[in-house]
Amino acid sequence: MRFKRPNLMSVMTGLTAALLAGSAAMAAEPTPGGWWLQEPATPVMVKLTEVHNLVFWIICAIVIFVMVLMGYIMIRFREKANPVPSKTSHNTLIEVIWTIVPVLILLVIVVPSMQLLYYQDQVPETELTVKAVGNTWNWEYAYPDYENIESYISNPLDEDASEAAGKPFLLGTDAPLVVPVNTKVKVLVTSLNNMHAWTVPSFGIKMDAVPGLVNETWFEVFEEGTYYGPCSEICGVNHYYMPIEVQVVSKAEFERWVANDGAFPGQTAQLGGTTTAAQK
Amino acid sequence: MAGHAVEHDYHLIPPSPWPFLSGVACMVWGLGMVVFFAGLQPRNGDSPMKEFFFSKGLDTLQGKEGASGGWILLVLGSLFAAYVMFGWWRDVARESEVGDHTPVVDIGLRYGMIMFIMQEAMFFVGWFWMFFELGLFHKMRAKWNTDVLENAPAYADSMAPGISSINWAGLPLMNTLILLLSGCTVTWAHHALIHNDRKGAKWGLGLTVLLGVWFVIMQAIEYLEAFHGRTHGEPWLSTDAYGSAFFLATGFHGLHVAIGAIFLFVCWARLMRGGFKPEKHFGLEAAAWYWHFVDVVWLFLFAFVYIVFGFNAL
Amino acid sequence: MVAIPETGGYGADHDDGKPGFFARWFYSTNHKDIGTLYLIFGIISGLIGGYLSFMMRLELMEPGFQYFANGHDFNVFASMHGLIMIFFMVMPAVIGGFGNWFVPIMIGAPDMAFPRMNNLSFWLLPVALICLLISFFVPGTAAGDGFGGGWVMYPPLSTSGSPGPAFDFIIIGLLAAGFSSIFGAINFITTILNMRAPGMTLHKMPLFAWSVLVTAFLLLLALPVLAASLFMLFTDRIDGGTGFFDPAMGGDPQMFQHLFWFFGHPEVYIMILPAFGIISHIVSTFSRKPIFGYLGMAYAMVAIGVVGFVVWAHHMYTVGMDVNLKAYFLAATLIIAVPTGVKIFSWLATMWGGSIRYTIPMQWALAFIFLFVIGGVTGVMLANAGVDAYLHDTYYVVAHFHYVLSMGAVFGIFAGFYYWFGKMSGIQYNKWLAAAHFWLFFIGVNVIFFPQHFLGYNGMQRRVADYPEAFELWNKVSSYGAIITLIGTGFFFLMLLEAFTIGRKTRRVGDNYWGDGATTLEWTLSSPPPFHQFNTLPRIEDTDEH
Ligand code: HEA
Ligand code: HEA
Ligand code: CUA
Ligand SMILES: [Cu+2]
Repeated sequence: MRFKRPNLMSVMTGLTAALLAGSAAMAAEPTPGGWWLQEPATPVMVKLTEVHNLVFWIICAIVIFVMVLMGYIMIRFREKANPVPSKTSHNTLIEVIWTIVPVLILLVIVVPSMQLLYYQDQVPETELTVKAVGNTWNWEYAYPDYENIESYISNPLDEDASEAAGKPFLLGTDAPLVVPVNTKVKVLVTSLNNMHAWTVPSFGIKMDAVPGLVNETWFEVFEEGTYYGPCSEICGVNHYYMPIEVQVVSKAEFERWVANDGAFPGQTAQLGGTTTAAQK
Repeated sequence: MAGHAVEHDYHLIPPSPWPFLSGVACMVWGLGMVVFFAGLQPRNGDSPMKEFFFSKGLDTLQGKEGASGGWILLVLGSLFAAYVMFGWWRDVARESEVGDHTPVVDIGLRYGMIMFIMQEAMFFVGWFWMFFELGLFHKMRAKWNTDVLENAPAYADSMAPGISSINWAGLPLMNTLILLLSGCTVTWAHHALIHNDRKGAKWGLGLTVLLGVWFVIMQAIEYLEAFHGRTHGEPWLSTDAYGSAFFLATGFHGLHVAIGAIFLFVCWARLMRGGFKPEKHFGLEAAAWYWHFVDVVWLFLFAFVYIVFGFNAL
Repeated sequence: MVAIPETGGYGADHDDGKPGFFARWFYSTNHKDIGTLYLIFGIISGLIGGYLSFMMRLELMEPGFQYFANGHDFNVFASMHGLIMIFFMVMPAVIGGFGNWFVPIMIGAPDMAFPRMNNLSFWLLPVALICLLISFFVPGTAAGDGFGGGWVMYPPLSTSGSPGPAFDFIIIGLLAAGFSSIFGAINFITTILNMRAPGMTLHKMPLFAWSVLVTAFLLLLALPVLAASLFMLFTDRIDGGTGFFDPAMGGDPQMFQHLFWFFGHPEVYIMILPAFGIISHIVSTFSRKPIFGYLGMAYAMVAIGVVGFVVWAHHMYTVGMDVNLKAYFLAATLIIAVPTGVKIFSWLATMWGGSIRYTIPMQWALAFIFLFVIGGVTGVMLANAGVDAYLHDTYYVVAHFHYVLSMGAVFGIFAGFYYWFGKMSGIQYNKWLAAAHFWLFFIGVNVIFFPQHFLGYNGMQRRVADYPEAFELWNKVSSYGAIITLIGTGFFFLMLLEAFTIGRKTRRVGDNYWGDGATTLEWTLSSPPPFHQFNTLPRIEDTDEH
């Protein structure tokens, strides 16, 4: 069963791709009317999508199986078609079968799922460390590797400003996290007050920001672009309005940005603050 | 089927006001808790109203001024609850005396008491879980968390200076002996009753109640010393996490000792008024079970909270 | 609305000692009356909870703010919706309501073991609900009244993040509700273990009684831990109080999550197991066949209960737990699919070879089986810790748990309600109104919650009052579904109204109005049963079917 799995998985992935043909546009942000996982942008998300697809097809098959079986029973054994009910109430063989088969199915799921889990969790040798600190209600980013870059606050853009900036409202910020492409980045996540969660769906990352605790995760993005995500742990009145924006730039551009002390042209964030004015 | 004479041994109870009145008491008391501890205003807001519902109950304890309606509600609720408990208990005792508690009902009461004690055990599982987590893992957490290690002295002394100031060999050891002794006296009372030695039973039970009260007093003294040694005018309960776990775990235990003592006292009163028979005295047995349970919890507290972690902190 | 007519139904005795109105309903010690109180209470809470959810759906119909002043108010509605639906609608209805009504009857007992404590369990609930309702109107945070930290109440949002007394009221309310359930659990366990009719061994006990027995143990072991953690929240919230969850004092905010989910996960099975029991009876009755694999069914519930205690941290995959722990919880969680599958397939096997009648309760039961499978398998998806990094706290989770709650537990409640309505009231429901209720509700909830899977996939997080435009389409569909559901629920109340006015005169029912498929003891009694049943205990013969 085990060495066959990649095969099965690729078939499933192919099927999924076929199913979704046409909606293949890069989705670093939610697609309007979208109904599927966002396009993967990191190796973790690629694996995550694969495991998801495997499980997805299995559970679809289970639901369809139950549905068809139930439909058949409902028609075949309706009162009119079967006026005299049987009296059977035991059949050891079938009971054993419907205990064993689910166990086997679960084994098929658990192996790739564990591989994904460990892959996701073991932070490899990383080339850059960034720090994301949740605050009510914005994110503060810091680059411990670069002394010249002061930590800065990434505030959400309001409706007009995001329209002007051409960013989606409730996802766009005035100062994104900037990272180079094809680089393994370690993210340290923590919080100053309430809990938050630093989330970028297309990276396959969701990491709770817990006060008094630093959580670690990592990503490596394939393509330049802007990637969005929401705060995903309820944190009070503006929980819906605490987006995460990651700008992935070429390595050269990133170096320029660092050389520039991490300045954003025309941005509105206060630089250098460690906390915002307490927004009650 | 209906209309036949009752041919089973179960105990059907006529309508009773006590449950409904318990609900009312609970409402008053719950309101009192909130008003007492929070007041009906945000704690950080600055309301000019210092009146009945809007006072901050805790201020009183901190020596700041502030009249508190919470006290009144709490006292009212407690008195009402006491009245309900009295009435309810009296009904049960009477039913027992007129023979409503047939063997099968008696077994049911036993099941009920066992389940109740299981429930209490899970309650303490919650406290011990918290206690061990804070006691065992907070250093590990601190290591994960370089930030906190660097800048929060709270972590450094979170091995509870308060705990070390309570030497297990002092009051706690005495309390252990008190409880163990009371476990003996309650067993003595039980056996005396079985052998129809009512005088011995009265003595045994009375002593147990006294020992329970003594325990509670000792615990109160211990707390006062701990506060005195630790807080120097700091806010009342404010302590580190470890101390939090210490105070609430031992505090809830103390509360249970008090409840158990009341339970035993009720049994003693029934005994004095001629209640309980050598072959039928489940009320007393239940109180004894409960007492032993409280005893066992204390042994755990003593072993882990006072001795093991107490040494750690020295 | 008083659900039970003062005069008994057929065969009821007239001098069976019913007390006067006040004593009967406030000082009650009768399991059927208390059950009725619970059901009425559940219906009222269902209305409140339904109202809250409807307001949320209205708000979410379009991007931007329509009805709420700010995010806090929305959070308050979401939190209270969750708490009220769970603690005050589902639990009182299935455990307090149907459990009280039918567990004693099914096991051949005249009443519960502790009738007075039974009534205490009930009266703590209105107290609790009042506390929760008060909390709406007292300050929570500077942003507004009420508590908006989610039904899971994680600190620090529920401690330093919600300074006002609103959350203190919720703590007190939940403590009252918790003790109510604990007392109820003690009562059910004692009743079931001690008061079964002569000849009824545990292995002959009807499955609904089994389900309540397992549920009662879950309650007994899980709720005290919630109570302890609520006390910790309470003292943490006091100025100068404790610091269990305050990192600045060396505390650990994540510990609350462990304590909460140690209660919270068993809690979800507490809500679904009694529904499993109800469905078993209905499927067997209307297939005119005994339950297939009775022992497997009973022990599957025991297995679900046991395993349910060791999987709690699958709600916490993203908090930064050790990876090995996650791996353990992943595996343990998946295991629950096996006993649950046994239940699903046994129901299907019960129908197999049967002579199936599609009455209203049977329709609810069939819909339950189908929709619960959908909700269950999305749970299996979520159990994969790796994938949960994407799906956690998205609408996919919301879709998952509404499929098992709003379609599992609630469908179980309605199935049981229609199944036993005639037994409880002596009146049969109006078929057309009931059918309208079923179909509108069935379509409605699917339209609400199926698209929420898509929203979750697309990345929409939970507990938000406003969302990016990309999510508009499916949110709109979902909100239309809520309108359909609302109309469906309206038919439920029409059905009740009709039954107690017109139906009361025209559709009286006899003892066993479902025919020979219905074999449990309640069908041997009149409808409604006499005030005190089984003055002579029934004797269960060896050959009796379950
Ligand atoms: C009645 C309530 C109920 C029930 C029964 C379940 C059942 C299950 N739940 Fe669910 N769950 C909730 C209520 C419930 N849940 C709630 C309320 C939340 C959210 C809480 C919050 O955060 O607010 C939640 C959240 C939740 C999460 C956390 C998600 C997150 O926050 O990230 C997870 C993760 O593992 C999960 C898993 C499961 C699993 C594996 C089951 C299993 O028991 C399901 C088993 C059933 C089946 C699998 C279908 C039938 C079986 C077969 C047909 C056999 C063949 C099948 C296979 C081989 C797969 N649930
Ligand atoms: C049993 C539990 C239950 C039930 C039935 C429902 C029912 C519904 N819920 Fe539920 N919901 C939760 C439990 C439940 N929910 C929980 C736990 C949360 C999480 C809260 C949190 O985030 O903290 C949540 C969150 C939640 C959200 C997400 C909020 C957010 O994250 O922002 C939404 C949004 O659409 C929603 C909508 C609905 C709708 C439209 C219904 C409709 O199905 C409602 C239709 C009305 C009814 C189903 C009531 C009918 C019942 C009766 C009238 C009683 C009958 C009684 C007897 C016969 C005795 N709910
Ligand atoms: Cu920050 Cu939610
Ligand atoms: Cu769970």
